[in-house]
Amino acid sequence: MATSQGNDSDMDCSDNEDCYDDYNDYYNDDNSDGEQLDMSKTDPEYFDYKCLSEEEVERLLNETVESLSNRLFISPSLAKVLLHSHEWNSNEVICKYKENPQQTLIAAKIDPPTPSKSIIVTSTYLSCPVCITTLNIDKFIKLNCTHMFCKDCWTTHFEVQIAQGISTAISCMAKDCVVLAPEDFVLKHLQHKTSIREKYQHFTFRDYVKSHPELRFCPGPNCSVIICSREIKAKRVVCDKCNTGFCFKCGCDYHAPTDCQVIKKWLTKCADDSETANYISAHTKDCPKCHICIEKNGGCNHMQCSNCKHDFCWMCLGDWKSHGSEYYECSRYRENPNIAHESAHAQAREALKKYLHYYERWENHSKSLKLEEQTLEKLRTRINKKVMSGLGTWIDWQYLFTAANLLAKCRYTLQYTYPFAYYMDTGPRKELFEYQQAQLEAEIENLSWKVERAETTDRGDLENQMDIAEKRRTTLLKDFLDV
Amino acid sequence: MAALPRRIIKETQRLMQEPVPGISAVPDDSNARYFHVIVTGPEDSPFEGGLFKLELFLPEDYPMSAPKVRFITKIYHPNIDRLGRICLDILKDKWSPALQIRTVLLSIQALLSAPNPDDPLANDVAELWKVNESEAIRNAKEWTRRYAMDN
Ligand SMILES: [Zn+2]
Ligand SMILES: [Zn+2]
Ligand SMILES: [Zn+2]
Ligand SMILES: [Zn+2]
Ligand SMILES: [Zn+2]
Ligand SMILES: [Zn+2]
Repeated sequence: MATSQGNDSDMDCSDNEDCYDDYNDYYNDDNSDGEQLDMSKTDPEYFDYKCLSEEEVERLLNETVESLSNRLFISPSLAKVLLHSHEWNSNEVICKYKENPQQTLIAAKIDPPTPSKSIIVTSTYLSCPVCITTLNIDKFIKLNCTHMFCKDCWTTHFEVQIAQGISTAISCMAKDCVVLAPEDFVLKHLQHKTSIREKYQHFTFRDYVKSHPELRFCPGPNCSVIICSREIKAKRVVCDKCNTGFCFKCGCDYHAPTDCQVIKKWLTKCADDSETANYISAHTKDCPKCHICIEKNGGCNHMQCSNCKHDFCWMCLGDWKSHGSEYYECSRYRENPNIAHESAHAQAREALKKYLHYYERWENHSKSLKLEEQTLEKLRTRINKKVMSGLGTWIDWQYLFTAANLLAKCRYTLQYTYPFAYYMDTGPRKELFEYQQAQLEAEIENLSWKVERAETTDRGDLENQMDIAEKRRTTLLKDFLDV
Repeated sequence: MAALPRRIIKETQRLMQEPVPGISAVPDDSNARYFHVIVTGPEDSPFEGGLFKLELFLPEDYPMSAPKVRFITKIYHPNIDRLGRICLDILKDKWSPALQIRTVLLSIQALLSAPNPDDPLANDVAELWKVNESEAIRNAKEWTRRYAMDN
């Protein structure tokens, strides 16, 4: 396996045999590399990851701690602080520590920034600055700074901090002192307090996972799975316990082809402008030909008027016939080429128009996804009846569910092409993108139309349509998914 | 009620014996963890001449947790909101058990002398303080006269 260490680390460790990698074995256990390489070539969304339990991750982290502690002859507790402050990059810690241990300990807030002068205590009694009690010197303890406090005060300090959910960030009690209390120091002061100890260990574990770039908590409700991947990419991962899917890099809903920053910007904009866009959520529109009111109850945007049989597009109300052609324009926003010379007011109006164009389509596909889910439910009921009355077996009808699932996958990607296009600069690349987006959209609506009429659609015809739609989707992602 | 920690008793004694200039803090007759505080508006500040009432409460885990302090008198200040809550680092994440009631009150007095509109709690006040400081100061004086000078 080719180690990717060289390009993702800014430390020059390549010729240093100290910088070995203890993860390799873990990741290398069962996958054959040849297969992986092929997969990532054919499938732009392919991602190698594992779903781990808390125990497995604990073991993984402990192995890292253990090996660092043996390597540098430091306590496991100190190794944890160093790893936590270096995003669990053992190689970096080893390099830095070997180069300048003092500086490394200061940067990790184990030692104070200015070396503490050793104070000579002459009396056997001291007054604790926190509880103002005078006690024998042996009742006092300090971290690597000079600040002495009585043991009881340390215990109370830790209890209060832990109750607030603070763990790896607990520092010395002195004003403005940044020195951190490592795990062994904290636990030493909580000796008979089982439930607080457990809480503390739970919180530190949470902090460690969050600071580890290769680990992500599954965002699913009440799910404890941790997803683990060597590559930190904006790719889809799906939890094998609760089935929640999300972007590995940012932890939010998966958003290809849009990248993490852009989708964040888009979602913030949508939330900020929610009032402006509110009027869009219409469930009924008038037929552009006979003007009868039509309610949309399916996901497909190719509408057929129940009254006059006119085929039109739900988004733009244009004739559906024009949507199949190469000159399909429904998804594209035509910007006013002279807008730079118009008044500020006209420019603001144009900006809003442009945003609404993309927002409307983004929102509409999201609604279609929900409506198509309902279609699938109805389909399930109908097929159940058929099977029960002897019309074929479950296996015979399986292809319909495959089609519905594929439709959902395609439409999901299509929805996320709109924020991508909104933030794209005008130019040939955007033209190519919009062309591919339009093609994808047309094929998805065709697929949706056929899935809604599943029982009357020829199976070969449907499977052909599935193939075209998925090909369009992969082509677009191959060209534009830049992760 | 649990016995009062030695630390609180000591701090209270010292506050009474050597009060901070311009500040009075008196424990409530029925609750020794609750203090009636009066801060005099600092000289050369828009709050000069005003007497500001505050309440200060020492929570159960004091001094491990910061005291809870709030202005009762209305005040026009970018770091104090309409409910009298104060945006001050040592009352939040910069609290240290080695700090005392005395240090907290001194910090609040300093905040009146030097408002910090870049770390605002009352956004509209902070905004005006940044774009039109003289008008903001006029407002602050007006509020001081109206709410903090009632005989
Ligand atoms: Zn310290
Ligand atoms: Zn103490
Ligand atoms: Zn999960
Ligand atoms: Zn992401
Ligand atoms: Zn019609
Ligand atoms: Zn259209």
